[in-house]
Amino acid sequence: MADLERARPAIEVGDGAAIPSKSDIGLFTAWRFAFFGAVILLVYLAVTRPDPYLAILKFVPDGILVTFEVTVGAILLALVIGLVAGLGRIASNRLLNGLASLYVEVIRGIPLLVQLFYIYYALGRFVHVPDIASAIVAMAFCYGAYMGEVFRAGIQSIPKGQMEAARSLGMTRGEAMRHVILPQAVKVVLPPIGNEFIALLKDSSLVSILAVADILRRGREFASESFTYFETYTVIALVYLIITLFLSKLIGIMEERISAGN
Amino acid sequence: MNIIRRALTLIALVGICSVSAAPQQAAAAGKRTIAVATDATWPPMEMVDANKKIVGFDIDLMNAIAKEAGLTVEYKNTAWDGIFAGLTGGRYDAIISSVTITDERKKQYDFSDPYIQIGQILVVPKTEARAAKIADLKGKKVGAQIGTTGAFEIKKVQGVELKNYDEIGLAFEDMAAGRISGVVCDEPTAAHYALQKAEYKNKFKIVGKSFTSEAYGIVVKKGDKELVALLNKGIKAVQAKKIEDQLRKKWLR
Repeated sequence: MADLERARPAIEVGDGAAIPSKSDIGLFTAWRFAFFGAVILLVYLAVTRPDPYLAILKFVPDGILVTFEVTVGAILLALVIGLVAGLGRIASNRLLNGLASLYVEVIRGIPLLVQLFYIYYALGRFVHVPDIASAIVAMAFCYGAYMGEVFRAGIQSIPKGQMEAARSLGMTRGEAMRHVILPQAVKVVLPPIGNEFIALLKDSSLVSILAVADILRRGREFASESFTYFETYTVIALVYLIITLFLSKLIGIMEERISAGN
Repeated sequence: MNIIRRALTLIALVGICSVSAAPQQAAAAGKRTIAVATDATWPPMEMVDANKKIVGFDIDLMNAIAKEAGLTVEYKNTAWDGIFAGLTGGRYDAIISSVTITDERKKQYDFSDPYIQIGQILVVPKTEARAAKIADLKGKKVGAQIGTTGAFEIKKVQGVELKNYDEIGLAFEDMAAGRISGVVCDEPTAAHYALQKAEYKNKFKIVGKSFTSEAYGIVVKKGDKELVALLNKGIKAVQAKKIEDQLRKKWLR
């Protein structure tokens, strides 16, 4: 997805793109069709032709674990970096503002693959970080910049009157931010954060270039030995699809909970 | 608008004509043009030089073979872990890329006669004093390029963790960064990185002698008997003329 779209997704929130409305929760939603379709196809392939398909499925599970580690580690770190960057971008302190803007602009302007190479191989000369850790840091740094913009947009979408009202009640700017603005902003930023989560999971396949044994790397290892390229990448694609669909459902449920809570 | 469209059509037509003209010219000269894939990240066998040209032992040899066989060669730099898939997909006619002739690969593809004998060898950091073979690195990580016979050799050793890299240079870089304890690759390539590259010379050492005996061959699609015959004819002529020995001196030292 284009960087621009990622940078300002909060604007679309009013349309509720990611929240399924009551009307399409039936038996044949697009989600169910895709999810169970992928699962059934995968099972069918593994049962009817166990020779390559089941063998591939048995080969990738530790890769799935590594992908999860990288994704979850990176998302947690990116949320923290993003919140700091987002608050920095709206800070009135010019130094903080400048630093946060510089970070966002620089990181957003360099492809993730280049960043991965840079942190792993270029900086590897000076600091010796284990592979998965440096993969997590590189992913988090990149996604932190996008998250920063999501948080900034989310916070700025809360009407100015809210801050003014909180201040007139005697709250400091910090207190108003923590108790009034951020809780409202969380609701707004949740769908775009969910987008980022899924995008990050898919982009984590890039860490296979660092010899990190994720799903894609395991698949490539299998294919390069058995010459079963078609079968291997079919399985890899289905596994990614099933995981991301599962995630998007989870995020959808979370959104419903939070909007119902208010 | 119309003029622009006409101009575009004209350009497209000229493009098509010039593309189709190229093979015709070659055919007129009595030479068949073949596209040959190589993964130019395996010095000194195949690599990209400072002028962005693909050079190396295999390339010089292929040129010599082609000359003898009456072929014109067009090289395509291709990533290793998809290089066989590209041959199946018809993106090129042959592969010359330090490909070891193995039974597994023979089942899927056809090979020319072997053109050189080579072995796998282990490279370790100089700090790794006691390692004499892969099995001595139990509990540690050893790197190789993905899908190479070096990687297969590491996999055979119980208790050693194989790390697969896209390019062999990245494995050496990772060993320089201290993330892995050894690299296994073809002997000439190991010698290039461990004994000739200035930044690695003081850090790495080659351990012992090569522990496999492998023959490189040129890979073609299964059933392409005609091309195999042409290539074999070229290889025989090259070997008869001792061109290979000159190339060994030039590239392998």
